[in-house]
Formats: sequence, structure tokens, C-alpha cells
Amino acid sequence: MSLWVDKYRPTSLAKLDYHKEQATQLKNLVQCGDFPHLLVYGPSGAGKKTRIMCLLRELYGAGVEKLRIEHQTIVAPSKKKIEINTIASNYHLEVNPSDAGNQDRVVIQELIKTLAQSQQIQSSSQREFKVVLLTEVDRLTKDAQHALRRTMEKYMYTCRLILCSTSTSKVIGPIRSRCLAIRVPLPSTEEVCNVLTSICKKEGLLLPPELAKLISEKSGRNLRKALLMCEACRVQQYPFSSDQDVPETDWEVYLRETANAIVSQQSPQRLLEVRARLYELLTHCIPPDVIMKSLVTELLSNCDGQLKTEVAQMAAYYEHRLQLGSKAIYHLEAFTAKFMAIYKKFMEDGLDDMMF
Amino acid sequence: MDEYDELFEIQDDFEDQFADELEAMADMEEESFKPGKRQKQGPGGDISDIEHLLDDQPITPKAKRQKQDAGVAKQLFKSLQTQESKAPSQSDEISPPSSPEQYQPPDTFRSTPAVLDISGFATIPETPRRPPTAASASWHVLRRPPLEGEYVSVTDSSGSRVYLKQTEDAGSKVVDLRLVPNSHGSLGLLSVPIDVLRDQQAERRHQQVVEESQRLADLLASSVNDVPVQPESREDEENDSPEDPEGQASRLWVDRYSPRHYTELLSDDFTNRCLLKWLKLWDTVVFGRERKSRPARFDRQAPNQNSFKPNQANQNPNRFKSKIEVTEELLEAELDQYKRPKYKVALLSGPPGLGKTTLAHVIAKHAGYNVVEINASDDRSAEVFQKRINTATQMKSVLGANERPNCLIIDEIDGAPAAAINILLATLNRKEGHGGDAGTETAKKKKKKESILLRPIICICNDLYVPALRPLRQQAFLLVFPQTQPSRLAQRLAEISLQQGMKTDTGTLISLCEKTDNDIRSCINTLQFLHRRGHKQLSTKTIQCISVGQKDQNKGLFHLWQQIFQLQRTKRKRIGEEFDEAPGSGGGAQRFQHILHLASSSGEYEKVSQGLYDNYLSMRVRDPNLQSVCEALDWLSFSDRLNHVIMHGQNFTLMRYLPFLSVTFHFLFAHTHVPRISYPHSQHEASTRLLSSRNALATMLADIPACIRTRISQLSLSLDMLTLLLDIICPKLRPVNPQLFSSREKEQMCELINTMLAYNLSYRQDRTPEGQYTYVLEPRVEEVVRFPGLPPRRQLTYQAKQTISREMEQEKMRRAEQLMLQRNPVVHKEDEKKRAGPKPVRNHQQRLENIVKQTTVETRPEVDFFGRAVAPKPQRLQTTSETGEMCEVVSMGTAVGNSDVWFRFNEGMSNAVRRNVCIRELL
Repeated sequence: MSLWVDKYRPTSLAKLDYHKEQATQLKNLVQCGDFPHLLVYGPSGAGKKTRIMCLLRELYGAGVEKLRIEHQTIVAPSKKKIEINTIASNYHLEVNPSDAGNQDRVVIQELIKTLAQSQQIQSSSQREFKVVLLTEVDRLTKDAQHALRRTMEKYMYTCRLILCSTSTSKVIGPIRSRCLAIRVPLPSTEEVCNVLTSICKKEGLLLPPELAKLISEKSGRNLRKALLMCEACRVQQYPFSSDQDVPETDWEVYLRETANAIVSQQSPQRLLEVRARLYELLTHCIPPDVIMKSLVTELLSNCDGQLKTEVAQMAAYYEHRLQLGSKAIYHLEAFTAKFMAIYKKFMEDGLDDMMF
Repeated sequence: MDEYDELFEIQDDFEDQFADELEAMADMEEESFKPGKRQKQGPGGDISDIEHLLDDQPITPKAKRQKQDAGVAKQLFKSLQTQESKAPSQSDEISPPSSPEQYQPPDTFRSTPAVLDISGFATIPETPRRPPTAASASWHVLRRPPLEGEYVSVTDSSGSRVYLKQTEDAGSKVVDLRLVPNSHGSLGLLSVPIDVLRDQQAERRHQQVVEESQRLADLLASSVNDVPVQPESREDEENDSPEDPEGQASRLWVDRYSPRHYTELLSDDFTNRCLLKWLKLWDTVVFGRERKSRPARFDRQAPNQNSFKPNQANQNPNRFKSKIEVTEELLEAELDQYKRPKYKVALLSGPPGLGKTTLAHVIAKHAGYNVVEINASDDRSAEVFQKRINTATQMKSVLGANERPNCLIIDEIDGAPAAAINILLATLNRKEGHGGDAGTETAKKKKKKESILLRPIICICNDLYVPALRPLRQQAFLLVFPQTQPSRLAQRLAEISLQQGMKTDTGTLISLCEKTDNDIRSCINTLQFLHRRGHKQLSTKTIQCISVGQKDQNKGLFHLWQQIFQLQRTKRKRIGEEFDEAPGSGGGAQRFQHILHLASSSGEYEKVSQGLYDNYLSMRVRDPNLQSVCEALDWLSFSDRLNHVIMHGQNFTLMRYLPFLSVTFHFLFAHTHVPRISYPHSQHEASTRLLSSRNALATMLADIPACIRTRISQLSLSLDMLTLLLDIICPKLRPVNPQLFSSREKEQMCELINTMLAYNLSYRQDRTPEGQYTYVLEPRVEEVVRFPGLPPRRQLTYQAKQTISREMEQEKMRRAEQLMLQRNPVVHKEDEKKRAGPKPVRNHQQRLENIVKQTTVETRPEVDFFGRAVAPKPQRLQTTSETGEMCEVVSMGTAVGNSDVWFRFNEGMSNAVRRNVCIRELL
């Protein structure tokens, strides 16, 4: 527990550093006693999980923090054994069903049913329901999501669901309508800076405000990343200087270079090189949609105003294709090629205009 | 054809080489000679007389002795052509006359005149040997080439060469020549005088004409709108006449027109001959017939020395043997001790539809065997197979007229299980029990009892290189079937269509052959199909349009990719009027169809599209605006989505749209250059690497404690945390002993170790191939986050890593002990209480007691060297007289029993001195 991220993570709703209004709302929600299913969504590093754990602590007390990892084996109807790790306390169960891949439906059905069908022993002193926390709901297959629908209603009395995802677009409508959706937005730059400064103070370090700002910008307001960057800066060089270079994640640097390669030359040969780089990114466990998004961001920064709309539209088109298909590399390359074509045409037109 | 040219180097062995074949033909002529079979010859009638004469002659070896030169053949052919103006002009279809092939054209009955004419000439050399004829014949038969005019050289069996003068009317002259001895009447060559024979022939011809006219009249009367069936097709009509028309219609043409005789075979002649020769080698053992003694090699060569050779290559002695020669030599090899040929099994291989099975059947039947066939439809498990082989090779049918020995044909052997093939091999190699050194007489008798293989076995397969066939390949006489010649196939097709009343032309039929890759079966089936559909008129267009005749060609993936990326050069063909362009060239529609067909018949869409994807960017495409690249990628993404839908919805009807991808790529990227295509590895490589990085992350996640585990996922690890985490665990450490660290440094170290433990990272000592020791981070997440081509991150030194690693180990032990203490603190207290209370007997004490007791019990009366009892010493008595406890204490020694440290002798080096220690005291 020595990374700052873990060490200084708030454990109760009252201690949360930002979105305090939402924290009080959540507190009220717990106190009013009518606790609904929740769908917590927001970009990664915004503090969804922290907020959920605080909420659980508010619900059940400190006992929630006694966690244990359980290895569960579930036998699918096809006699296939699925092994999955769950994290559980006495009051809740956390599952990442997408670990099971295509068989996530079975996981959801079995796990939730077994949990929901057993009642709390001391219901007088405790809450009468347990909580199932499902993470990465946006990666659930449609089958699994449909399996969830009925379970959510049927076992309402003994079990509440908290769903955690980065976006609601992949959660089917029926589930969205059964949950209270809570959006956890990213903290603002100032909030990130405040958090960084306060933690450094607790560590007995002095963080120059310029560096704090730089870190928060570089991290894209992702608080987890910001804290890690800050700690990496500390390891790199202690007496902080305000113009210290902040370590970045390798894949972002790599992606930026790829984008530069695309902009600098447009030819089939270059496309072949870009393909190799895209493969490299994919094999380093970077999800294709993240690659697409970051690539577009990098490319757009190199584009002219008129071109931006066109490129953004193309990106949306190919991102949709990417979601529909299964071979990410085709769609990524298709987008790259299209961008090359558009960009080249634009540049040539611009050149012609200059000539005449 | 080239093979045959080579063959001419040994052309003087013609007799030997073709002996079997000629015998076959002779047999056939004997049996199939029927009156009315002869064709009308018109002006060349006198020649047919001679044929007739020869036909009636008993088949003597002399009749078969043929010595022909290419020149003879050519000229004969020319002269015959002029005469046989009425005969169907097969001659231009028949392969060039320089090959011996033409001596037995595909259809005997059609071209018997040619064959017989040749044999007619071949007998000429006999004439000069007879004194009476020699004088009269000397006008035409010369010892040396004539000075003027054309001549024909002829060599007889004894090797002497004569030259025949040729006059304008070669045919009639020759006939005159032949008639000379007959006019003398003294020769008695023929059993029946020639005049009688002539009369008979005339009568027969007359009869035939009458029959013919009758038939024509009938035809006219019935006013069949079909094309009048040609008179040559009598053979088949005779065969088929007993059947009712419906039966005829429903029968497959493939069966109906399958060859029944050796000469009807369409397959390559060399192959046919080799197989026949091989089968004849069995004659000795099967039929007890002595093998015809062949003259030794020099015998054959000697008379040929002055002979005219069209190809002089043979004179070069140290030349590499051609494949054909090797095969020939195999056949010449001596028989083994049981008079069996060296190779007991013939293995025919080749693509389907070349007539392998037909050949085997025809030849076996022809050589006088009863055919027993085992094919894939039979049970080929080991036991059944064994039984069947034994039945076929060792028994003989006693019932019925079929008393011929069996010949086993194992069809489709490439599909047989390896066990069955091993059984076959065991059968081949079965040795006689003990009769090796005995005389041949006894050996023969033993053969009856012992079950060595005495019958020929012919195996047939499509794929020679099936792993199961490997052992058999070495022991078998291998015959690889070459492609059927399209001209011969087309000719046969023409005959069939003529008989069935379909109008075609050669170009059409050749295009059909091409479409089916010269697959005889497929060609005939297509013809029949079209016939039944009512196509009486066949044109190239119909052939091009139909999709039935096409085999599901199983071409390789590389072939497909090449076809997609390469534009075929337009090439014209010899015959044909309208189309005649190679598939894949020509108009867009045709190319479209061609590629579509190829792609859809390959079936491996996944692989195909991967290959296209991996290769299309390296094609030479002029595409400055990247338009076609974009389009290609759009198509790829379309096919990817299609695949996704197919796989997820099990909607396989959509599969039909997949091959269009190949067509698009063809039209976008095809080029006349030969494309360099590499096998698509990229996707597979990527997926393996992705899997390995996923595994690394999963192992890392698996042992992270729950409180941290709940906050992180694989995704956040790979996206946000790992790179920075790896930076964080590389602090600057002074390269000194950790004991000398300042408090600040100690704290830092402690944090580092905590972090690493929390995130399940550790350093493991590893040895590089160069022999150096390094510490590597375990699990190997470094590979997951590091990208090539980026500036390398800071690394810790070896010493630092070593320090960290050691500290981590200590920390782990400390934690483990703490955990133990936490888990059972109560037990520990009790322990201490016990220790405080009445002192329990310690472990080592208990053991020592036992040891001492044993030793005390085992004291025996002392014996001196000679076995006499020695009087015990007084001290010994003193010790044993003590009470029990005291005695033990004494024997152990007081020092051992009372201290925490004890020593035990003779229990090894390292653990001799023992003490209970807690980890926390050490660290």
C-alpha cells in the first residue's frame, strides 16, 4: 500500500475531494433507506470505484473493507468449466464478468442467483440486501445484459446491483432504465492540482504549482494517472523543478509518433509501416477503440479547420465499423488510408490554390 | 511427345519393348475379327486384301516383328492419307507420327487399316530371305540406297537392312510386290490360297454393302431427325443392342463408353505399357509360363550398329538416365527367388478422372486375371483387410467358369488407415519359413503351403504423398499418371457425341477438356448432362456458360492469390474461332467469373482475405490518391463485418458474399507482373503476442492483494499504470550496503519493497545465453508496456536489483511470520505457558532416551578374537545397577539435557547444532 494512489485514497463519502455535492446526494440516498440499482459511469480515473467503495462503506460500515479473493468455478450448460475470480466481503461481491469472455452470461446467471437467493442472517441489524458490483459492464455481451434484466427485478428484495462502466452507450436500454444512473465526471484541472498538492504536503514534499498544472494537463485529468505521474516525478528527481519533464505512458508516445508518420507522408508504403505500428499497439493490450480515439485526437491537432469536420466524421464512421466487426486492424487501417487520401487531396488542393 | 523422341534412342528394342503390347493387340484382333467389320476402302481395296491376309494368318512371332523407322512411318502415313480419303480423317488429330503411339491409335477399330498396313510392310523383309522371291524382288529391294527416287529403309530381325524403292503409286507397287510370291503359288505361306480369300472378302463386302443399304433404308423409313449414326460405331451398337433404349438412356455414359480393351485406353501409352509389362512379369509365377528369353543387351546392340538412328544421343554412354529409362530398367530387373518381380505392388497415382481404375481393370483382365477390388467403400479395418488380402491372393474361385487367378486391386488406398497399409506391407514381405537354401523344386512345393504372396497387387491412389503410404512407396513400382492429352480426349468425346447425335466441333470439345482439366469422367458426364438437357447442338458458348463441368478444383492458396494479383497475358490457341482466351484474361466479365469461381471453390475465405490483406500494399499499383487502397480496405471491413454476422448469428447463407472480396482485389490490384506473395503471418503473430501480454497481465493480477485488486483492472494496468509503475520502482539507490542507508533512504527502500509486493512484482535471477547473470522483473510485464523505437527507460543496476531482491525476500518472510502469529496467537501463548509450567520432555531428549535404551539393551557379552567370553569389567556393573532415570541422565550427559542448544553426532554437517529461532530475531 505504498503507491500514493492507494495510500491516500479516500475511504468515506465525507472525505472525497471533489464532486462533494454528489457525495452528499449519495449519502442521502443511503440514509433514506430505499436504495436502488445503480449505474455508475464516467471516464477512467475519475474516481468511480472509489465512490462506489465509499458508498458501500456508508451502507455497511467498515466490514466492507475486509476483502477476500475467491476463485469460483462455474460449469456452463455446455459442460465447459469457467474459472473466475471474485472479490468479496461479507456484504458484497465484485465480479468482472468480461473476464469470462463469451461465457459471461453464465457467470452472471449463476453468481448473482446464488448470491441473491441467500438472505442475510441478521437482517435486523444489517441491511436486508447484499450488493453485487459488476465492473466493465460496457464489455458485457448482449446476451449477458439480457440475462441481467429479469434478475434485477426478481431479486430486488435481497440484492442490489451496482454497475460500473465507462460509457452507457453499450449498456442496453432496459438495464439503463432499471438503474439510477450516476455520472462521475473527471475532476477539473484545479481539483487535480489541489489533490496533488495536498498529497505532496502529506508526504512532506513541496510541489510547485506549475508542475502540478503540467502534470494534470499531461494526465488528461485522469486522477489515477496524475498521481502516478507525480510519484514518478518524485522518483525521478526530488527537489521538484517547475519545468521537469513528466514521464508519460509509452503507448501514447508511440501513438503520437504514428500520427506524425501518417501526416508526414501518404503512400501505400507508409501505410504498410503504419500497419506494423498499429499491430504493435494492439498487441500491447491497448483496446482498438482507445487507439482510434487517441489517433484521431493526434491527427486532428495536425489538421486545418476545414479538414477537421471531415476527419472527425470519417473517424466516427470507421469507429462504428470497428465496433461491428471483429478484426480491428482492418478498420484502423481503413481509417488511416482514408485520412491519408483526404489529407493528401487537401494538401494538393491547397498547393494548387497557392500556385494560381 | 518428347519422351517418345527419347524413346527412339532405344527404338531398335522396339520388339522387346512392345512385345507385350503387340501380343495384346494380336489377341484382340483374333477375338474381335468379325466379318462386316472391315471398313470400305474404295480405291485402296487391294490393301485391305493384304490386311485380310495378315489377319487370317495365325499370330506368329514373325507377324509381330516390326522394325520401323520414323521415316517409314512418316511416308507410310502420307501415302495412306492419300488413299484413305474416305476414311475419317483422324490422322490430323493423331499426334505427330514420330511417336510409336500412333501405331496403336486410341480406337483400334477405327484405325485398324493403318495398323495393319504397317504390319503389312513389316513383313516385307521376310521376302528377300527366300531365294525364289529374292530374284524378282531385287528390283525393288535394294541392298543400298538407290541413287534416285524415294526409298524406304527396312531392317529385319536379323539386323540386315534393305531399301525399298518407292514409285509414285507406292500402294499398288507394294501390293504387287506382295503378290509376286502368290502368283508363283509355290510358297504356301497361306493355308488358303489367296484367290479363295479374295473371293471370300468380296463376298463379305457385298454382304456388308447389302446390310448397309438395308440399314440406311430403315433409317430413312423411320425418318429419325438425328444425325445418321456413322457406320463405324457398330462395335458399340453391337454391345448395346440387347439393352432397351431406356436402359441405354439411363446408363451413365462413363460406364457405357468405358474402354473394354487395352487399345481403347485413353491414358498415357507409356504408363499403360509399363503396367502391362509389370503384370506380365508375374506370368512366370502365376501361370507357370516361362518368361520369354530376351537377348542380352549386346546382342541387341550388335546388329543395330549399322542401322540408321534418328537420334544419336544414345551413343553418349555416360549420360544421365531419363526417368523413362529408369522405369524401363526397373521392369528389366531380374525376378527374385520365387520368380516374382522385384516390386510386388504397383502403385498408380494421379488426379481423379484420368482412368487409373479403368486401366488397372482392363490390364488385369487382359493379362488373364480375375479382378478383385477393394476400395474405400469397403471396410478397411486391419482384420478385415488382412482377411480380404489373404482371400484374394491365396484362393481361387472353384465354382463357375471363372477359373482365372485373382489380381487384387486396392483402389483409393490413400484413404486407408495406416494399420491396413502395414498389413499389406507385411504380406509383401512375408518370407518363406525355411526354404531359402533348398532347391528350387522343393521351394516350389513349399510355396503351396507357405503363404508368400504369389498374386499381383495393384494399388491406386490420388495423393502419393499421404504419410500412411510412405513405407509402401519404397516397395512399390510407382507409376505417376500424366495428364491425358486433350487431343485424344477430345477425339473420344467427338466419337461419343457423334454416336449420341450431338453436333459439336473439335474446338468446343477441347474447351470442354480444358475446363475440366482433362478429366475424362467429368467431360463425359458433362456431355451426358447437356445431352439430357436437350442440347443437341454444342458450341463453345454453351461450354463456357455452364458451370457443371467444373471440378471443385483444389488449387493451393498461393495459386489463388497469384491469380488474383496477376493479369493473365492474352494468349491465342491453335484452334477455335470466337473465344479462345485463357481464363482470367479477356473481358471484365470473364475475369470476374474466373476469379469468383476460384475464390469460391477454395473455400478458405479467412485465409484468402488475410493473404490479400497482407500482400496488397506491396503490389505495384499506381495509386497516387490512395483511392483503390481505400476501396480495398472498405471491402475488407465489409467482409469482416460479414464474417462477424455469420459467426455470431450462425447465418451461413451470407457466406456466398465472401468470395467477392477476391474479385474486387483482382480488379483493383491485378498487374501483369508476377506478384511476389508471402504467406500471411501477421494476424496469427499478432494474436499470439496479444495472448502472451494478456497472460503476463493476468499473472500479475492474480496475486495482487484484494484491497488493491479491486481498484485495478487489466485495462487500467495497461493504459495508465504499468509504465509509470515501472518508473516508480526504479528509484535512485546508492550502491552501498542497505545497512549503511540513511533513514530517509531506508524509508524509500521500504516503500519500494512495499509497492513491489503490493503489485506482485519481483526480481528473479536469470542467466543470459552469454552466461551473465541478470535480474528480470517477474511477471514479464515490461514487454507489455515497452514499445520498440522509443528511448529506453532508466534501469536499475545489477547490484541495486540484487539488493532489492534480497530485501524483498526478507520482507516476505517477515510478513509470513507475522501472518502466522496473527492467525494463531492463542496457541503461541499456550506454548509459552507450557514452557513456563512443568517442563515437558523435549523432543531431542525423547529421542536420545530411545537411542540410549537401544544401545543398553543390545550390549552383548564380550567375546575375544577366538570366541571365548571375556569377563566383564567391574565398572559396567556399577552403571547398570543405578535406577532408571538417573541412568538415562547419566548416559546422555547432563550438559545435553538442560540447555537449549544440543549436539548430535553423526547426523550430517550443517544441522548438527540446532536451535529454535524466529525470523524476526534474524532480520
